[in-house]
Amino acid sequence: MVSIKLNNVSLVYKLHEKLTLSAPDRRVAGPGGRIEGSGRKQFVQALDGVSFDLKAGDRLGLVGPNGAGKTTLLKVLYGIYEPTDGSVDIEGKVDALFNINIGFRREATGRRNIVLRGLISGWTEAEIEEKMEDIIAFSELGDFIDLPFKAYSQGMAARLAFSAATALDPEILLMDEWIGAGDASFQEKAKRRMDELAEKAGIIVLASHSEALIQSVCTKKLTLRSGRIESFTTEPVKRVGAVAKSS
Amino acid sequence: MIAALNGAFDDISRAMRLHRVWIALAHEDIGDQHRRTTLGPLWLLVNYVAFVGTFVFVFQPAGRDAAGYSAYVAIGLLVWFYLMEVMSMSVSLFQREESFIEGTTLPLFVYVMRLGLQSVIRAGYAIAGCVAILVFSGSPVATPWLWSLAGLLLILFATPALITVFAFLGAFFPDSQFIVGNLLRVGMFFTPVFWMNNSQDPIQKYAYEWNPFTYFLEIVRLPIINGEFPAHAFTVTILASLFTWAIALLLLGRYRKQIVFLI
Ligand SMILES: Nc1ncnc2c1ncn2[C@@H]1O[C@H](COP(=O)(O)OP(=O)(O)OP(=O)(O)O)[C@@H](O)[C@H]1O
Ligand SMILES: [Mg+2]
Repeated sequence: MVSIKLNNVSLVYKLHEKLTLSAPDRRVAGPGGRIEGSGRKQFVQALDGVSFDLKAGDRLGLVGPNGAGKTTLLKVLYGIYEPTDGSVDIEGKVDALFNINIGFRREATGRRNIVLRGLISGWTEAEIEEKMEDIIAFSELGDFIDLPFKAYSQGMAARLAFSAATALDPEILLMDEWIGAGDASFQEKAKRRMDELAEKAGIIVLASHSEALIQSVCTKKLTLRSGRIESFTTEPVKRVGAVAKSS
Repeated sequence: MIAALNGAFDDISRAMRLHRVWIALAHEDIGDQHRRTTLGPLWLLVNYVAFVGTFVFVFQPAGRDAAGYSAYVAIGLLVWFYLMEVMSMSVSLFQREESFIEGTTLPLFVYVMRLGLQSVIRAGYAIAGCVAILVFSGSPVATPWLWSLAGLLLILFATPALITVFAFLGAFFPDSQFIVGNLLRVGMFFTPVFWMNNSQDPIQKYAYEWNPFTYFLEIVRLPIINGEFPAHAFTVTILASLFTWAIALLLLGRYRKQIVFLI
């Protein structure tokens, strides 16, 4: 059964500052996590006692100001960061879309990048080959698929990243503010694909600053502020898709 | 300690299951390095042969046969360049892989194997050149060559451990990137790459006997040059490799989750 359980998760970034001659310590409370420590050793408390549970079919929207800890939380869920404290229990195959350019080679063609991406997610060449045409068709990149990745625009890169990540049937999909780059028609298509994924009893966690996007995709909303949970609303706001269907 | 070893073996076995990833990436790397060049990776061969030629021309000891000395230098440079490349690339390994380490959950050993395979492929071109020089210089192809082959395999076995140790070193102490680079440049003169130990000069004798790299070179070179099995050199190299592996496993098991916070 696909599920995510976080219990009292904290994460501290340690900063190993170089010796500096500039004026020390003039701190103002900023938008991000809390900075602690002084001198050469500094810490940023990026997550502080975060607990929540998600089950199959949940679509969680992560919101909060810059530096609230959204990206950090997604990376903890993906397993890139081991939490400093607390426990993370995840059942299901996780895939993630962070920075669009991560995991892509600039010199390789889009097609080759899809293969590499698939291999990294643990797929065999045969399985990737099987999905290849689907991925290319969904991305609508056409002939550009055989051009090097460095020749892609931001939106084209986002299309490739999203198509590849979702075609490989993840059970849990983590997304960090990726969608802004895609144009309206692709966003619409991407939304539909996320709906399908969630209906197949998957979990989606999406960090975004776009209230409209969160409202149309997500069924739950978690607000972070300075690494702490400010609110966790389970039954939100209108579902655009549902409204459209019922009318 | 046991937990650390378990962690290390878990990392390694996951990396081995993902062998397709590092094989594909290593090939991409080689391709990228030589993109848009006419000779492509053949430049590696040209480089190597040019180096050997220069050394033979400049340092050939008076009264010695040129053929024997070219064989000596050819093997010395082959092994030394390989080790040097492996070590100097390893210290910045995790920094170079930053975007993958911060964006995917690939086990660290994937990056180790990626660099290892890449170095082996590059060394392959030098090996081709080396064999050509050996045959050309008239070294008779004989059974002791098999010991040299065993020596190469032993170096191959030690490679991932060396990469791991140097990669962690570079991640924990960024200054070491510069120190290692400088030491390697100087190290060439303290390793019998192109000079021969005549046991007369005490400094030379010291540099020969107390430098672990001497033995890595000699296990490949002595069987071909002298037609003998260098038991002592093999023993030292095997012990050094096992020691390096032990450290590599401990580092990998204990600190692999910390790397993402350090780079
Ligand atoms: N690699 C790092 N080293 C040190 N501190 C970091 C690092 N990454 C993030 N932080 C800090 O952790 C806190 C949370 O950052 P995070 O990137 O998770 O925020 P976010 O909610 O994703 O912000 P944004 O909306 O701008 O994307 C911030 O205070 C940030 O300064
Ligand atoms: Mg962010």
